[in-house]
Amino acid sequence: MSNARTEATHRGATSECLLCAQELSKFYPDGRVQALDRVSFHVNRGEYLAVMGPSGSGKSTLLNMLGALDRPSSGEVFFEGRPLSEFYPWDRFRCEQVGFVFQSFHLLPALTALENVQIPMLETRRSAAERASAAESLLELVGLASRRHHLPQTLSVGERQRVAVARALANNPPLLLADEPTGNLDSAAAEAVLDLFARLHGEHRLTLVVITHDPALSRRAQRVLRLKDGRLIADEPVEGAGPVSDQ
Amino acid sequence: MRLIHVAYKNMQRRRLRSALTIAGVSVAVAAVVALVGAVGSFERQLLAVFQNRGIDLVVAGATTVQRLQSNLEEDLGRRIGRLPGVKHVACALIENFSFPELDVLGVVVRGLEPNSFVLNEVALIEGRKLEPGDGDVMLIGKVLANTLSKRAGDQFELVPGRSFRIVGVYDSYNLLESNSLVVPLDALQDLMDRRGKATVFMVVAAESSQAAVESLAAQIKPLAPNIDVLPARQYVDSLIEVRLARAVAWFTSTLALIVGTIGVVNTMLTAVFERTRELAVLRAVGWRRATIVRMILFESALLSMLGAVVGCAMAWFLTQMLRLTPTGRLISGEIGWYVVAQGCGLALLVGIAGGGYPAWRAAKLLPTEGLRHE
Ligand SMILES: Nc1ncnc2c1ncn2[C@@H]1O[C@H](COP(=O)(O)OP(=O)(O)OP(=O)(O)O)[C@@H](O)[C@H]1O
Ligand SMILES: [Mg+2]
Repeated sequence: MSNARTEATHRGATSECLLCAQELSKFYPDGRVQALDRVSFHVNRGEYLAVMGPSGSGKSTLLNMLGALDRPSSGEVFFEGRPLSEFYPWDRFRCEQVGFVFQSFHLLPALTALENVQIPMLETRRSAAERASAAESLLELVGLASRRHHLPQTLSVGERQRVAVARALANNPPLLLADEPTGNLDSAAAEAVLDLFARLHGEHRLTLVVITHDPALSRRAQRVLRLKDGRLIADEPVEGAGPVSDQ
Repeated sequence: MRLIHVAYKNMQRRRLRSALTIAGVSVAVAAVVALVGAVGSFERQLLAVFQNRGIDLVVAGATTVQRLQSNLEEDLGRRIGRLPGVKHVACALIENFSFPELDVLGVVVRGLEPNSFVLNEVALIEGRKLEPGDGDVMLIGKVLANTLSKRAGDQFELVPGRSFRIVGVYDSYNLLESNSLVVPLDALQDLMDRRGKATVFMVVAAESSQAAVESLAAQIKPLAPNIDVLPARQYVDSLIEVRLARAVAWFTSTLALIVGTIGVVNTMLTAVFERTRELAVLRAVGWRRATIVRMILFESALLSMLGAVVGCAMAWFLTQMLRLTPTGRLISGEIGWYVVAQGCGLALLVGIAGGGYPAWRAAKLLPTEGLRHE
């Protein structure tokens, strides 16, 4: 399983390619429909990608494959040119390489903001003190240092989502995957999250793949993938967005 | 922050449920500590009665189910005494008296020869020892004397119409002894109509190495049919009273432990089902199955350890209550650290056993489960 071969098998892959999806298909055991139908694309390192499509078109299914939460029925995902199956066990892969952000935040209700951010760090060798200070700086990054001891239910929804973003960044992953991150937010809170994404992309060189229904979000991405009935129907650059290296 | 901290916070989130589960475990721990502890302390005190006097072997009837009623010929003692390896031998007739009208049950009365080595070191606080030729007289342990409000010089009716004069009061840190009576062997034999009979013989070997004691036991054994010659510890272990008490204590405790475990399983399983989404998220952000399992086990172990703490406190109260019962004089009221350790150890087992299945269920959840429909 050499790099030369895996790269050769995927058209358009470059040395900058962080993530490549190759002919991904997904059948759910109990599903009558095919959730994904031979979807191929690549994501360059440092790219900001939006995924759009009607409900049920397979967006979340795709994100699950990219983030090693689930395996495709056929096809393969490549990360840094190596198939995901080589990254087994996937817990470790998710812990180190991927940050997830969900529509409903999914913070642990019993833990404060600071503690929630440390959750993924519990799988690392960092000491408790290091974890706490790393979480402090992440909360600072998302502008919530003053809320560090708040429980999720005492935070506004926008703040909760920013805590969730800080948690996604806990182990400093190169890739951020978000599934409708602004779906539960009002426009001001959504704007704050989008500004944050823009900074992570611009200043921190993160690669972002964001599912959205929100045209405001997709306009801030560099490229948009469109899915319909499990098929990729468009893969186009966003007007006005420059190439990765210009960001 | 550490994993245990997360577990603690999760437990704290469900206050009432956690409190009820802790209560369930604590009852089990209290039963272990109080009941098993009480039986254990009784056994140790009984053993101490023998060991404090350097008694190497106890000779008792083999056929009787209840050894305390074994019926041996007093003459056996003299024959044992003639064996070369024997330093001392004492003959004892042991009877159990109850005085319901005084609310005092289970008083051990020992019939001993006045010059028996068993009485050598008795610590008199009043009066005198037994003397050869004494008739219906008795020595009384200090605790029992207090319970009965008796002192040297008083009369005490062992059976209606037959009074014994108290000639001495002795002290002993051993509750069993300090709750018992000593009367001259002939007087007790006469009282019980068991003339020439004995319950046990206590033997001190000249040399107390294990080999010497074993060979002495082998020499005593053929002296009479149907006798057991046992080291003190084995003798105490073989007493049906001790065995029964132990069995009842463990049976009760085991039932309580099972109920406590079911409580923990129920609570933790509910917690896992309620938190399906949360657990899926933890898996999504990179937690291994092992970490999930550890968190759930930490939670159940925390519940059970808190149960252990509460249970030990309850056991202390229970022990004080037991002491107020008619046979409670024999309970020291002290709870040994090893009994507490035993209770805590079992509580931990309850926690791990009770958390095991829920943890396995939690580990089986897929990271995508629960994330789907928001
Ligand atoms: N675990 C599953 N089991 C069975 N069918 C599933 C499962 N997950 C998704 N599906 C089905 O697969 C298809 C794609 O679902 P998916 O959740 O990926 O869509 P989506 O584009 O994310 O939709 P939405 O915008 O509503 O979130 C749908 O028809 C859905 O019902
Ligand atoms: Mg979806």
